[in-house]
Amino acid sequence: MIGLMKKDFAMIKSNFKLLGVLIIVYTVMGFLGEMDISFILPFMCVMIMISTFSYDNYNKWDAYSITMPNGRKNSVRSKYLATLAMTFAVSFITLLLSFLISYVRTETIPYEQILVTMFGTIFGTLLVLSFMYPIIYKFGVEKARIGIFLIVFGLVIIGSFLLPYIDFSFLAKTLSFLEDYILIILVAIAILMVYGSYKISERIFRKKEF
Amino acid sequence: MENILEVKNLCKTYDNFELKNVTFHLPKGMIMGFIGENGAGKTTTIKAILDIIQSYRGEITIFGLDNRKEEGRIKEDVGVVLDDMFFPEILTPNDIHKTMKSIYQNWDTKMFYDYLKEFSLLPNKQIKTFSKGMRKKLEIATALSHHPKLLILDEPTSGLDPVARAEVIEIFQNFIEKDDCSILLSSHITTDLEHIADYITFINQGEIVLSKTTDELLNKYGIVKCTEKEFRQIHKEDYIKYKKTKYEYEVLIPNKKSFQEKYDIAVIDKITLDDLMVLMIKGEE
Repeated sequence: MIGLMKKDFAMIKSNFKLLGVLIIVYTVMGFLGEMDISFILPFMCVMIMISTFSYDNYNKWDAYSITMPNGRKNSVRSKYLATLAMTFAVSFITLLLSFLISYVRTETIPYEQILVTMFGTIFGTLLVLSFMYPIIYKFGVEKARIGIFLIVFGLVIIGSFLLPYIDFSFLAKTLSFLEDYILIILVAIAILMVYGSYKISERIFRKKEF
Repeated sequence: MENILEVKNLCKTYDNFELKNVTFHLPKGMIMGFIGENGAGKTTTIKAILDIIQSYRGEITIFGLDNRKEEGRIKEDVGVVLDDMFFPEILTPNDIHKTMKSIYQNWDTKMFYDYLKEFSLLPNKQIKTFSKGMRKKLEIATALSHHPKLLILDEPTSGLDPVARAEVIEIFQNFIEKDDCSILLSSHITTDLEHIADYITFINQGEIVLSKTTDELLNKYGIVKCTEKEFRQIHKEDYIKYKKTKYEYEVLIPNKKSFQEKYDIAVIDKITLDDLMVLMIKGEE
């Protein structure tokens, strides 16, 4: 499994430079007090990792990976772990930089808010990962991209129609009740979401024929 | 003799193709040539053995173990070259080494780099810069470098020039001489198989037509070239297939010696695997 992760990282090593440039841009913009783009960086990790599916598919790697010891299981597991490792590593670097920017620019955002923003970003990234990977395993990268675009587009359209009719006062009360536990709840949701997504992907890949 | 690979009653159905009760076995220390025309079922059989396709019926054992239940243990000792190119083009042989080193317990770094040197493959060049033949050589080097006990090779010599083919064939021969290793090798280039295969298994339209030792096939089988009048004298049980050409009849016979004792037909040619394939596929019964 570690070998497959190394292979994925080797395939995207040219993207690491782009990620490095983005981190520098973020840092410079942060020091200048310009727009905060920290939320982009973890998302970029998932997007870069998705490109490894395209490489695998184009080069017919998946069939070969099955010929390796525990190939079917390790293929899926390595994709998830590589994505998580990259997302957390980049998030951690971004977080440290955000603290540094906040420390140097005394008038800027409080530490708590930085943590909440980063936590929300990681949660959003994991949501995208959990949603997209099973679809990619089932339908391939190209179809998954179209599918996800259609789903997001559909949700926006439906949401814009329904929004005026929804009573949010009940939701606000519930959320204020949950406020004390929100961190634990979101962490639990994130773990369940990623684990569930992994199990679905593993099941899809276990039955896949090439 | 102990069998390293056994395939029993393998069946797989597609919309337009079917594997029908494919059965054969590969003894330890032997090379089996797996032959058949395009679309005959060679790659499908190999994919079933390697678990790349799953929804099949039948029983496949490798090293005496079920190929699906014990796949983790089995695949550690199986080296593979598939029909299609499969290494991501963006990687280099160095990347392949780093990947495989963490996958196979028996990965042999020195052996891998020795093969790269022997095949004149630069370790830090991206695979996309390699020719088709060079890519095949890299795949073969990778398959050999974790000391497998069984090599499963689907068209490993396709794309290689005659010199490179001879080089690779010699490597395969050296491979089986060590530690009783075995090779299942599918190839269109049947002359290579005549030189190295101990067994030949021939598949046609999803069915195993024959599975015999190469010596038996090449020494016992023969092609009788005769006139129509002579052909009419041959009993049906004494030949397998025949083909009518412009000037003569070509008749595939299973036993040259007994045929010569029975019939007074002078011209019995030695058979090649190409002849055998053509007559078995195109010939009439």
